[in-house]
Amino acid sequence: MLNIDALRAWGADVDEALVRCLNNESFYLMLVQKSVKDPNFDRLPEAVAAGDLDKAFEAAHALKGVMANLALAPICKPVQEITELLRSRAATDYAPLLSEIRSQRESLLQLF
Amino acid sequence: MNDRSFMEERPNPQEKDRMRQILIVEDEFVNRELLKAYLEDSYKLLFAETGKEALKAVRAHADTLSLVLLDLNLPDLHGLDILREIKQDTDLSRIPVIVLTGDTESEVESLNTGASDFISKPYPRVEVIMARIRRSIELSENRDLIRGTELDQLTGLYNREYFYRYAEKYDLYHREEDTDALVVDINHFRLINERYGKAYADVVLRQLGAGLLAAVKESGGIVCRREADTFQVYCPHREDYETFAEDISAAAGEGLKGRIRTRVGVYSRADKSIDMERRFDHAKSAADTIRNSFSASVAVYDDALHEKEVYAERLLDDFQEALAQKQFIVFFQPKYDIRPETPVICGAEALVRWKHPELGMISPGVFIPLFENNGLIRDLDNYVWCEAAAQIRRWKDTLGHAVPVSVNVSRIDMLDPELTDTLRNLVEENCLEYADLHLEITESAYTQDSEQIIQVVSGLRALGFRIEMDDFGSGYSSLNMISTLPIDALKLDMLFIRTAFSENGNIRMLEISLDISRCLSVPMIAEGVETEEQMLALKKMGCDIVQGYYFSKPVPAEEFERFLTQN
Repeated sequence: MLNIDALRAWGADVDEALVRCLNNESFYLMLVQKSVKDPNFDRLPEAVAAGDLDKAFEAAHALKGVMANLALAPICKPVQEITELLRSRAATDYAPLLSEIRSQRESLLQLF
Repeated sequence: MNDRSFMEERPNPQEKDRMRQILIVEDEFVNRELLKAYLEDSYKLLFAETGKEALKAVRAHADTLSLVLLDLNLPDLHGLDILREIKQDTDLSRIPVIVLTGDTESEVESLNTGASDFISKPYPRVEVIMARIRRSIELSENRDLIRGTELDQLTGLYNREYFYRYAEKYDLYHREEDTDALVVDINHFRLINERYGKAYADVVLRQLGAGLLAAVKESGGIVCRREADTFQVYCPHREDYETFAEDISAAAGEGLKGRIRTRVGVYSRADKSIDMERRFDHAKSAADTIRNSFSASVAVYDDALHEKEVYAERLLDDFQEALAQKQFIVFFQPKYDIRPETPVICGAEALVRWKHPELGMISPGVFIPLFENNGLIRDLDNYVWCEAAAQIRRWKDTLGHAVPVSVNVSRIDMLDPELTDTLRNLVEENCLEYADLHLEITESAYTQDSEQIIQVVSGLRALGFRIEMDDFGSGYSSLNMISTLPIDALKLDMLFIRTAFSENGNIRMLEISLDISRCLSVPMIAEGVETEEQMLALKKMGCDIVQGYYFSKPVPAEEFERFLTQN
């Protein structure tokens, strides 16, 4: 069962996120659980694989906003990085960042 | 803050905010839920998850939306395109939009596209969000209020008051430029209104407004609706106003049945040292000179018009003093009963002259229309009544007798609730009979506000005053109406006499008028009779009473005495 302490231990900036969630813990936890199922987690690697960097940027950008609002730092950090690379449509290897995002998301899912 | 519940942490919702409606355009569940949690206690919320949904919602709630919170990153349309769409649509552009974005670049672009503000991601503290929302709504509502008072509702143009302010500003930035002040009227607008209805007339007004804006678009200039069908334009000087008039008339009547014609009064190269309002008064005077013209559509304010105005103003300024100093002199013109073998004097008409100390004798043809236009005629009429009544008294005292004197009662006098009392007092104070005073009321007075006027006249007649209908034949009253009017005599419009006795004269109208007077069993008085020939012809046709230069011009009271003593 996901709880505040586990999230804090995982690396989320729980205090910042709680202020944003009006100090309502259950509201915060509900949003975190929803955010992990954000379809952009799938759209991002799919678009990169298909070479559609525009679409990949949109997915990353949207994810960044959500992760930042919930202060899920371990995911937020690689998402921010990939968003910036995609913004300039950089011809680079996106695999390491994609893999980092995937594994952080999985580790978060294990807290559920 | 741990010991306080999160409900207490929320911004205290102001009661009036409850009524305000906010559209949240956001496709991300988490972001949407956060905003909902912040705002749902204070605002009525609508949600859209795609750009298309957003535009649909904005249009559906265009009149009630207080704000749009717009995420730039949407699945179908880009937020900036939605923003552009809202800001370019005149029905939607008043709605403030706050952009939700995580990028500094987008912030600048959003503000340039018309966003009121932005909220970054991750979201700042809730108090910041609430404050920004409140401020944007407040600013836009204040602006709407200002616009509401600045703009004419129907045409969207400036209203008159604000127009003058903007015109002053216009001057500041165009000091060296020659500028024209224009007043534009629609010909016979009242008829258009009556014939086609208000909705049609409103379309004409809106189209004329748009036409005027288009006409000054290239050269620059400002436009307002002054009142009703009158518009004002302040623009760089140009020469060809004929084309201008044609263009705006065409624009006003576009797509409509019936042709719309405008008249343009131009005060060219306006003197910037005089009041802004005066400049447009000049243009209005020019426009008024072609009010009834079928051919002219442009009139320029020139020296002649200026002189005429200055003269008129002088007369208006001098009026009160003239009254006080008795510069107005009442003349009397005899009326003769021509039915006997030798015509017999049977009355007089009191006519006013102005003996101005500096301008000399001024014709009533000049000052009466002027005073009729601004209500001063009431004071003047009153003055004449008093003078005439006092004179009748004097004649009765010195000569032992007098004749009935008719005085003019203007339409505006009829609206005075104290008219009957005033006239009654006059008779009583001078110890006269009611029949000593005849009241001349023009036919046109009866046709406007007829019911009220008929009531007043009936009351006066019941007291014993004799009523003469003046200028009969010029007022288009129906035969049916005339037969029910309370009158004791018909006074034929001078024009009929002139036409009847001119070359190729048409006496038919004269005969018909005489038939009417016979039919009503009231005497017919003919004015403006100048020759014996005319008098004899009228007599032959059955006219009863004659007034005019043939017998005498209007003369001062002393001179009139000879007509009374002759009898």
